Amino acid sequence: MKEIVVASGKGGTGKTTVASSLAVYLAKKGVRVFTADADVDAPDLLLALGGGRTLFSIDIKESEKARIDKSKCTACGKCAEVCPFGAIVAQNGGRPVVVELMCEGCGVCRLVCPSDAIEVKRTDTGTLSVQETKYGFGCVTGKLKLGEHNSGNLVASVRNIGRGKAQDAASDVCIVDAAPGIGCPVIASITGADYVIAVTEPTPAAKRNLERLSKVIEHFGVPAGVVINMSGYSKDFETALKDWIVHELGFQFLGEIPVDYEVVKALVQMKPIIELNPDTKASKALAAIAQKVGEIL
Amino acid sequence: MAVTGGKGGTGKTTVAVNLAAGLSAKGLKVMLVDTDVDGPCCATLLGVKLENGDAVKTFKPKINEKRCVGCKKCVDVCHEHALVGLQGKTPRLFEELCSGCKACQLVCEYGAVEEGWKTIGKIYTAETNGLRLVTGELEPTEPRSPVMARATVLRAMSELQNSGYDAAIVDTAPGVHNAVAQPLWVSDFALAVTEPTPLGAHDLKFILDLARELELPAEIVLNKADVPGGLKDELLSISRERGVGIAAEIPLDGELLRSYISGEPLVKNSPNSPAAKALLSLIQHVHKRVKGGET
Repeated sequence: MKEIVVASGKGGTGKTTVASSLAVYLAKKGVRVFTADADVDAPDLLLALGGGRTLFSIDIKESEKARIDKSKCTACGKCAEVCPFGAIVAQNGGRPVVVELMCEGCGVCRLVCPSDAIEVKRTDTGTLSVQETKYGFGCVTGKLKLGEHNSGNLVASVRNIGRGKAQDAASDVCIVDAAPGIGCPVIASITGADYVIAVTEPTPAAKRNLERLSKVIEHFGVPAGVVINMSGYSKDFETALKDWIVHELGFQFLGEIPVDYEVVKALVQMKPIIELNPDTKASKALAAIAQKVGEIL
Repeated sequence: MAVTGGKGGTGKTTVAVNLAAGLSAKGLKVMLVDTDVDGPCCATLLGVKLENGDAVKTFKPKINEKRCVGCKKCVDVCHEHALVGLQGKTPRLFEELCSGCKACQLVCEYGAVEEGWKTIGKIYTAETNGLRLVTGELEPTEPRSPVMARATVLRAMSELQNSGYDAAIVDTAPGVHNAVAQPLWVSDFALAVTEPTPLGAHDLKFILDLARELELPAEIVLNKADVPGGLKDELLSISRERGVGIAAEIPLDGELLRSYISGEPLVKNSPNSPAAKALLSLIQHVHKRVKGGET
């Protein structure tokens, strides 16, 4: 089974649109598809696929947070002094308080506490569920608890369960919709994958973030191709961008998707554009890209 | 004031940059802080070249092999499993996993864990048209965006102290994770920029939940408000249900794209375009807030 990750340095370039259309296109061509939403902050892939029937759902408890036992605490303030994340606040010699939002659960506070008042406890990282979409293939989705640190851990769980479920279903490919950016959840999505589709748009801001993403992709040694989404409003910039992708980044150029308001309609109706209106210009472009990806697979 | 939104690509940076430029043009002393350390775009949108950043360094253990007795205490205490080793052997560090917490140094009784440092990113500052820009950039392949975002926030706050700024506009990353929560935590007010699609609405609810959890007052900026076939009504009903006001409705506007590409804020570049007018009234709205001391 091959794992394809749809990623993007900048947010809102169209990862979910590409991932959902790619999944439906390949499934219709007889490829056994599985999908995973690794954007655990804003998991939108199921929305783009019209929802699903929940097969199972579990809580992931990979996070840890310090807790101070008030009855044992002597307000010496040592914990607040050593906390590397500024997560323990002691005001005016008062009793220290853990700011959960900042706490990474490293336990340094527990090590220095002379009165054994601190425990590091496991807490919720988020939830994970496996759904069956109306297209017949499965989708594993993670949802990070608000404000949490441990997105990489949750993404690893999404990928592990996705891989297992995909293999159970004898899938040929698992399409992973990644988070925007280049940080922990993206690294956790890319490492060990077979191919990365980097989605960008023809603007200087998106180009800059594609360049940053390309460094991460190269570091982890994953082959990659680029899709330019929302093209058509600056031909000169787009021509130069394509040239730069192939010659400077050394990535495959998979195709470009023109600006097309049918895509908005598809999002609103919660159907991949390729399914809602296969004849519109964006769908034709997406079909050509999906075919290319199929050949690469 | 934080500019955030949940979903990526809704127009957070466009709003932040125009707001900062507009307030600055009204004579306020403004700092623009880019905390989207994964994908910082403020400088690009302002046409500013960033140079000579200050490295943000975090601790990493440097094991002194001569002193190490292989007791394995550091390995056992390492929360991130970044130190790996067997009894009697000098442990090995997997640098990319290390959070820099120093627990290893605290438990070592032989002084074998020495201070080492790694650079996780850089903070750049620049001045453009009277506007102060502070940008945090995570080093590609480094995973710790929250630490980098926090370093950027702390740097901005230390500059803001006693230096007469009227307002700081803080652009955040997309999402609701810790690197977004860090700048929200220190803000007085948030604008949640969204777009009229089910994805925009879905993610808007998450960011409003986070703002509520942090007791941060928020308002919604409805971007691409008139996109054909869009779901504006759904966003308006979220606004009503949550009692969160709409600070602005920005229409689709080709001029906005042109300004985005040219590297000059729309409100300067083309102040009479429909989107610029909406942004100017948002600037007026925020200006009142700042002047009225509401924030």
